[in-house]
Amino acid sequence: MRERAIELMQDARLIDGHNDFVLQLRILYQNRLSRVNLRELNTTHTNLVKLQAGYVGAQFWSVYVLCSAQNKDAVRLTLEQIDVVKRMCNSYEELELVMTSQGISESRRIACLIGIEGGHSIDSSLAALRMYYDLGARYMTLTHSCNTPWSESSSKGIHNFYPDVIGLTPFGQEVVKEMNRLGMLIDLSHTSYSTVKAALNISKAPVIFSHSSAFSVCNHSRNVPDDILLQLKKNRGIIMVTFNADVLACGRKVVNISTLADHFDHIKEVAGSESIGIGGDYDGVERFPEGLEDVSKYPSLIEELLSRGWNETELKGVLRENFLRVFREVE
Amino acid sequence: EEAKRIMTTTPVIDGHNDLPWQLLRKFNNQLRLPAANLTQLNDTHTNIPKLRQGHVGGQFWSVYVPCETQNKDAVKRTLEQMDVVQRMCDMYPETFTCVTDSQGVRNAFQTGKVASLIGVEGGHSIDSSLAVLRTLYRLGARYMTLTHSCNTPWADNWLVDTKDGKPVHHGLSPFGKVRNSTSSGGIEGMWAVPPQASTGSLVMVNFYNEYVTCSDKAKLSDVADHMDYVKKVAGARAVGFAAGWHRVPTGLEDVSKYPALVAELLARNWTEEEVKGALAENLLRVFSRVEEVKRNLQGTAAHETPIAFEELEGSCRTSYGYPNTAGTARRPPAALALALALALPLLSVL
Repeated sequence: MRERAIELMQDARLIDGHNDFVLQLRILYQNRLSRVNLRELNTTHTNLVKLQAGYVGAQFWSVYVLCSAQNKDAVRLTLEQIDVVKRMCNSYEELELVMTSQGISESRRIACLIGIEGGHSIDSSLAALRMYYDLGARYMTLTHSCNTPWSESSSKGIHNFYPDVIGLTPFGQEVVKEMNRLGMLIDLSHTSYSTVKAALNISKAPVIFSHSSAFSVCNHSRNVPDDILLQLKKNRGIIMVTFNADVLACGRKVVNISTLADHFDHIKEVAGSESIGIGGDYDGVERFPEGLEDVSKYPSLIEELLSRGWNETELKGVLRENFLRVFREVE
Repeated sequence: EEAKRIMTTTPVIDGHNDLPWQLLRKFNNQLRLPAANLTQLNDTHTNIPKLRQGHVGGQFWSVYVPCETQNKDAVKRTLEQMDVVQRMCDMYPETFTCVTDSQGVRNAFQTGKVASLIGVEGGHSIDSSLAVLRTLYRLGARYMTLTHSCNTPWADNWLVDTKDGKPVHHGLSPFGKVRNSTSSGGIEGMWAVPPQASTGSLVMVNFYNEYVTCSDKAKLSDVADHMDYVKKVAGARAVGFAAGWHRVPTGLEDVSKYPALVAELLARNWTEEEVKGALAENLLRVFSRVEEVKRNLQGTAAHETPIAFEELEGSCRTSYGYPNTAGTARRPPAALALALALALPLLSVL
């Protein structure tokens, strides 16, 4: 089974929807790449050697900046995170920055993409959104754990910003429409269900959840309930299932690969395997299932799914083809 | 007529125009408002018909944001000004073509469009972040004026008290439109570049009355006097145009009047070659040289030492990423500025 998993992944390397390694670069190293060797770094879940061992073919690097920077220097900080992704991908021959679905398909290295995590990064400016797109950002998560003046987060009580905002305001609708026009993927992880429904209503393109799991399996507010999964299927979008143990386990003490695979099984049943992808959230959270401690472990998940009867076509879809479909339609 | 003949093949590349700021002030950057139609706008120095009459072939649009935005939303506002320039090019593609290199400018001359470039006016736009500087370059900015009328945390060392009137040698950059401010924030002057024609220096002469005659009135011939003076001290290859339309001299009321100034230079015995140099060739030479330096520096590592947090002011900022301990070595502001000027191949307009 293990060998089958590896063969499969050699042929269809993973496109992972969400990784916060770049945030760790700021926190641990002040974005000073000259001080770190990204190949062998051992202070993070992610390094280049592990990505290769995990058969990662493309990675969306999150350029998240803390919600506490909203109304302060969020724009500058976001530009700095985008800058470090570009410098990182330029400095290592294992990496190459891409901005299109074709770029991902054709890359023989680890393709780097940029994802903005949280509408607070644009400081309510459509111009800033356009500039981020010009710089290469290809998705934006509409909120992180804080409301913006125009969109509502699923997190309540963590931050105090804009408490009266529900779903998407008229300006929020403009943001979504402009993202469609630009060809930027709309990411609904972290957003409230009102926001999700509003976005699904307005968007002309398929949407994504870059790192969320199934509410029916674990009723955490970061997860997606069945009715929305059905809407997602109609939308031809994708949910990139996430590995954060806290959203998988619902208090269970043992969280392992099987726990995660239950989410995959459930979503396949409700929305079909073509609605599924993978967004690990490595280096963005602390707790991962046993057996999935870092980015080299993805094959173990594929092995588990194979043993549960998932076939190769379905798994290639999960690994990359479903995401590429969504990206092409957005383009 | 002679001026127009010359300008038909060698239109003017102007170094500084604040139309984007007017678009913000008047229309909040909403270009689709009927009143914002650039073919009809009539209460600004710049509109499309006047640009045509003035034989403007290249323009650095200033993406100026006021000093009051320093330590607040300067970065976002700068992005918004850059975006409005891009949208202007998108909305009027028969007139403008947004370009980012000297070849792009030459191509625009061929197609008869106004080559549109971006100039950042004031180091406060980068909020002391080299990453933001790199980003503005990636988004198309091709020069940055290191300060406007406010100090930045890293440009203090270069400020010279203007009252004693000595010319300034600026060791960090060969380019020279020098603008100095005292800490009381208002007095600005312009200094002649020392005779170093061989360094390729460029003084893009400004038309603002206060700079031209040190009073609120000036005439076209006063501007021509400045150009004659720069030519005398630094050579004809050091002259350019950067009107910066503000309080304007009689005879130079708006962007359609460049030919009148060129006619004056011809009357003062400037040769056709010297005039073409001032109009475009000197700038293109400088621009190409800057591009060459960039190619030579290809592969060198990006500068990534952040400014020491204590050097920054204002409460609109967070500090995460900085180590908690006081271990960061304090860097003098000049070091960061030196890194900027030497390592980054922007036209540094001082």
